[in-house]
Amino acid sequence: MSDAAALPSLKSDQLFINLGPQHPSTHGVLRLGLTLEGELIVKAVPDIGYLHRGTEKLAEVRGYHHCVVLTDRWDYVSAMPNNLVFCLAAEKLMGVKAPARADALRVMTCELNRCASHLLFFGTYGIDVGAFTPFLYAFREREMILDLFEMLCGARLTYNYIRLGGVGMDVSADWLTRAKEFLEYFKPRLDEYDTLLTYNPIFMARTRGVGLVSAAEAVNWGLSGPNLRGSGVNYDVRKHDPYSGYESYDFEVPLGQEGSCWDRYVCRVREMRQSIRIIEQALARLPEGPILAPGVAKVPKPAAGEVYAHVEGSRGDLGIYLVSDGGISPYRMHVRAPSFVNLAMLEEKLAGMKVADVIAVLGSIDIVLGEVDR
Amino acid sequence: MIGYFSRIFRDAKALVQGHGITLGYLFKPAVTVHYPDEKLLPFEKFRGALLFDAATCISCNLCVKACPSNCIQLENATNEAGKKVAKVAWYSIDFGKCNFCRLCEEACPTKPKSVWHSLDYEVVFTKRDEMVRCWKASFPFIGRYFDRQAGDFKDPEGQVSIHDVAPRRN
Repeated sequence: MSDAAALPSLKSDQLFINLGPQHPSTHGVLRLGLTLEGELIVKAVPDIGYLHRGTEKLAEVRGYHHCVVLTDRWDYVSAMPNNLVFCLAAEKLMGVKAPARADALRVMTCELNRCASHLLFFGTYGIDVGAFTPFLYAFREREMILDLFEMLCGARLTYNYIRLGGVGMDVSADWLTRAKEFLEYFKPRLDEYDTLLTYNPIFMARTRGVGLVSAAEAVNWGLSGPNLRGSGVNYDVRKHDPYSGYESYDFEVPLGQEGSCWDRYVCRVREMRQSIRIIEQALARLPEGPILAPGVAKVPKPAAGEVYAHVEGSRGDLGIYLVSDGGISPYRMHVRAPSFVNLAMLEEKLAGMKVADVIAVLGSIDIVLGEVDR
Repeated sequence: MIGYFSRIFRDAKALVQGHGITLGYLFKPAVTVHYPDEKLLPFEKFRGALLFDAATCISCNLCVKACPSNCIQLENATNEAGKKVAKVAWYSIDFGKCNFCRLCEEACPTKPKSVWHSLDYEVVFTKRDEMVRCWKASFPFIGRYFDRQAGDFKDPEGQVSIHDVAPRRN
């Protein structure tokens, strides 16, 4: 009789663990209920709702000017596109068009915010897969963008800058100089990021070929933003349904190839370069003129009707469906939050993966729980 | 075998390149400050804790209507005949609800502004009562809170004034 046969038979049980809600890698309060078979995931159930503030319902009892403040709280990492999409929808309802200077400022601030948001992703994704240094570098640059915003509108995250019919504050000459200086400083930093993280062999080994999402799957799940483009689908609201004068800017849409974590990551890093291009063009052409369109009432009462407006937010196709019944507040507001839709693929994608890859996949889809739960 | 060594070489090269970048920054001045000892002054437009001046307020209610979270309350003062006058009897802001959005300051019609954002970013509330700041005629700009246990108005303890009066009050 051999020794092995004398041992009691090794029985394995499935193990249920909670990843989150207080886990540094879930980027907020996402709870993942994972059923494990050894190191393999059998089943993953994302549980959301820990950050639900009910802003969609709140909008029904608030005025249109007040709703802009509510929008700041969805995707608090990039609040400018949130402000913009609500203002675009409400302006459609009221039949107001923002002046040219306001449009240029909107584009500029939204693209700066996209850089800030992608920098946060870049830094935290590095931490998720075990690289600490890029985080410090990314946050150093992000601080500079937030300083620009603080100088412009007084807040670092919840801007309330883009208002109905234009923007809230005009830029000063000092701000424009600082913005130009920042762009000059920022461009060579992106090359450093590529050396530090993008083409680092360890990072590539962790993320390339992990969490593959084919183009067909991405479209079927309704993914948008860099998650969709990482799979090679060329869809960008800025190109395909331009708003605020994006059709007149010259920029490219970076695409990934196979839809792995690395492709999604590299899409975002390359998008920052395109954002810089857009900001430079906007700075060069910034027209003179008013920043607020006339004809926006202090308490707007748009005619009854319904509109849909969408923008390319930092995380994807951010849309708002706004219904008015002619009263002082919207009758209904619905948000098509890209993070929420992007999160939906997790349940199916995570099954069959190793635990270590969960963080790599979760980080690469770049969700903000404030937007998921709203 | 060649693949094994070439991989080691490739990874080692990436490591050296990465260290090259960080080494460059080692000899540059630090971008951080030691916070409690050194404090940065925010930009002039910064939206910090709200201040209020009961002397200039005309009790027009515009800030109350502009507030998206209904955190401002006020009551008109009355004269001896019981008629309302353009002064506040009391004014209160609930910082538990405040969004720091500057809509109240923008709506304020007086010159100088009667309610405005200071540069104070160090606001700490140690008690729930402290979140509701009250202002009456002789109260300072940062207001007092009503301590329900003591039944009296007290000065807030957890606020550090970066400036005594905000420079942007216009």
